[in-house]
Amino acid sequence: MAAETQIPGRADAATVVRRGSRSLFSRGLITVGAATVGLVAISWIFAPSSLTRGTLLTMLPFAAALAIASLGQTLVVMQGGIDLSVAGGLSLYVVIVTKYPAGDNGRLLAAIAIAFAAAAVAGAVNGFLIGRLRLNPIVATLGTNALLFGAVLWYTAGIPTTTTARLARIGGGLWFGIPAPVYFAVAATVLVAAVVKLTAAGRRFEGVGANAVAARTAAIRVRRHRAAAYVWAQLLYCLAGVLHAGIVNQPTAYEGNNYLLPTVAAVVLGGTSLLGGRGNLVATAIAALFLSQLDQFVLALGVTYATRTLVQAAALAVGVALYTVNWRRLARRLPRPRFATATPT
Amino acid sequence: MRTNKPAAPVMLALACVVVMVVTATSSARPSAKPSWCGAKKIKLGFTDGFGGNSWRLVTTASARGEAKKCPSVTSIDYADGQGNTQKAISDIQGMVAKGVDALVVFPDAGKAMLPALRSSYKAGVVTVPYRVDPGGKAGVDYNVWIDTPFAKAGEAWGKWIRRVLPKGGNVLMLSGPKGNSQGVEENKGLHKILDPSGKYKFIGEKPFEVTNWDPALTQKVLSAAIAKYSKIDVIVSDFGPSLVGALPEFTKSGRKIPALATSDGNVLGCFWRKNRAKNPTFKLFTVSTQNDHARLAIQWAVALATGGKKPATTHFPALTFEDSTTGRPHPVECRPNLPGDIYLSAELPAIVQAKLVKK
Repeated sequence: MAAETQIPGRADAATVVRRGSRSLFSRGLITVGAATVGLVAISWIFAPSSLTRGTLLTMLPFAAALAIASLGQTLVVMQGGIDLSVAGGLSLYVVIVTKYPAGDNGRLLAAIAIAFAAAAVAGAVNGFLIGRLRLNPIVATLGTNALLFGAVLWYTAGIPTTTTARLARIGGGLWFGIPAPVYFAVAATVLVAAVVKLTAAGRRFEGVGANAVAARTAAIRVRRHRAAAYVWAQLLYCLAGVLHAGIVNQPTAYEGNNYLLPTVAAVVLGGTSLLGGRGNLVATAIAALFLSQLDQFVLALGVTYATRTLVQAAALAVGVALYTVNWRRLARRLPRPRFATATPT
Repeated sequence: MRTNKPAAPVMLALACVVVMVVTATSSARPSAKPSWCGAKKIKLGFTDGFGGNSWRLVTTASARGEAKKCPSVTSIDYADGQGNTQKAISDIQGMVAKGVDALVVFPDAGKAMLPALRSSYKAGVVTVPYRVDPGGKAGVDYNVWIDTPFAKAGEAWGKWIRRVLPKGGNVLMLSGPKGNSQGVEENKGLHKILDPSGKYKFIGEKPFEVTNWDPALTQKVLSAAIAKYSKIDVIVSDFGPSLVGALPEFTKSGRKIPALATSDGNVLGCFWRKNRAKNPTFKLFTVSTQNDHARLAIQWAVALATGGKKPATTHFPALTFEDSTTGRPHPVECRPNLPGDIYLSAELPAIVQAKLVKK
């Protein structure tokens, strides 16, 4: 126990919990909500084709899968960690739910069950390495990521399989005019946010992330909570992976790579501090929508691939700067404008 | 007596084994030795820059099948570079060190592979790169490069487009990563045929929309294009199967799937059959994905190393495969009971491919 009090950065993390954390609308939610509304307005003016029904029906399923995966990443970040194994994990779950049934609808449920079991194991490995052995999350999850990709290659030899028809109907289908994955994303967001924000267990989970020392003093099992974050995260990646396999009819063996940067970006844009603590789960889900629409907006602009990449990177940099730069202090440090004395006469 | 007792079954088993070996070897031996197969016994090596997809799997199996037609090839070694240039280079060096007499290389990394090819050639190994241009010169850096004219595929698509859309129309081309040589060459061929008429307009990014051959990105790119352009008359793509997830975007937008000029794949043929009734504009034309390109490379390597007769050409032709409008050379093919990730244009039988892919 004595050693555990020396967790670096934990005491500092306590100071990161911001004022007004009890308000209904967090800073992250307001910022990312406003940004999304702004993006929609900009899309409307400059690339109205990115808001047509057909485009939205394509964008929303991807946004939904990204939102679910990002919720998982948020849980990990709330514990002051980061999960780089999202790429390997999601790839593995995609290949399990496509290769195991190999076109046979009857085997789909079993495949999904196997994928979730694999997710629990992968999460437990991460949780053990980081929660128990206290390895650095970046190093540990990078290692697990390599293991998971190893499993993908072992299982498929890198060869993709076409999605089962039933799963394709779920991933690509419309329920009451809205893409089916959106319902999964909304349900997952509501459920995870409700558990974290409204239940005693959820409050303990958030408390551990905010201040491990205080949590330990209050007899909360810090290591178990920290490890659990990785397990829940993998289960959410698995749900995202299952939906992704349905959305993309011909998934490659490396689909998870498309999720590594965007999930971290969604967490950051949603205003969850990378130092851990309070998580903005709803804001994360909206940030996933923002990122997906940004993708579609830049595509609709018809600019070259190079410009597309630059615009996306710039948007991310702005988003990160919004939260991480202390603008007030920066403003104080800037030299005072001397217009009054320097006006030409 | 005890020792004599089991002798009868052992003898019987031995006899069975002998019979099996004799029948196996006699059935494995091809009826007629191909002309490219000379008398000299050789060891053959085959290296791939990236072996991790169903196309490569079928191609590798095709190469093995071709080499087995020649009894002078005593062994076949295969190495997969796994998309890692450094490994691909050391694979070549490893093959040379193992003492192969002939080496067929898929140099994915292009010019980065040239020094390794050259050292293999200088070491006296018959070195035959194919499909991707490694730079360098035949007879200096390697024996011969077996290429395929990608522009010809573009020309074949162009000719078909002129036939099915004689009044002209909007053409959207999709290919892999930005600037990939295959897409650039195909685009040139397409322009060569379509531009003189002045009736065809290329829409989207030039020379082609970048999809990285990634199905998810293809889906996003295509839906953006559908929303942006109210009229898309024909889509040209060099990786047909990756469009299967993306083409339903037309239906989602309340539009009909347009004509498609692309490369073949079982999943695409089956998709066409399922959707043609509701989409009268969905005409399909495919060129072969050229799994058999590796066969020509093997023939060259074996001919040069064993002293057989050299094949007539170093170019593997762009072969048209399916045409839904004429049924020639083939009508659109679909084997619904076999996996989607097989290529019916390949010489390797569909059943064998299915076994490979399912393994």
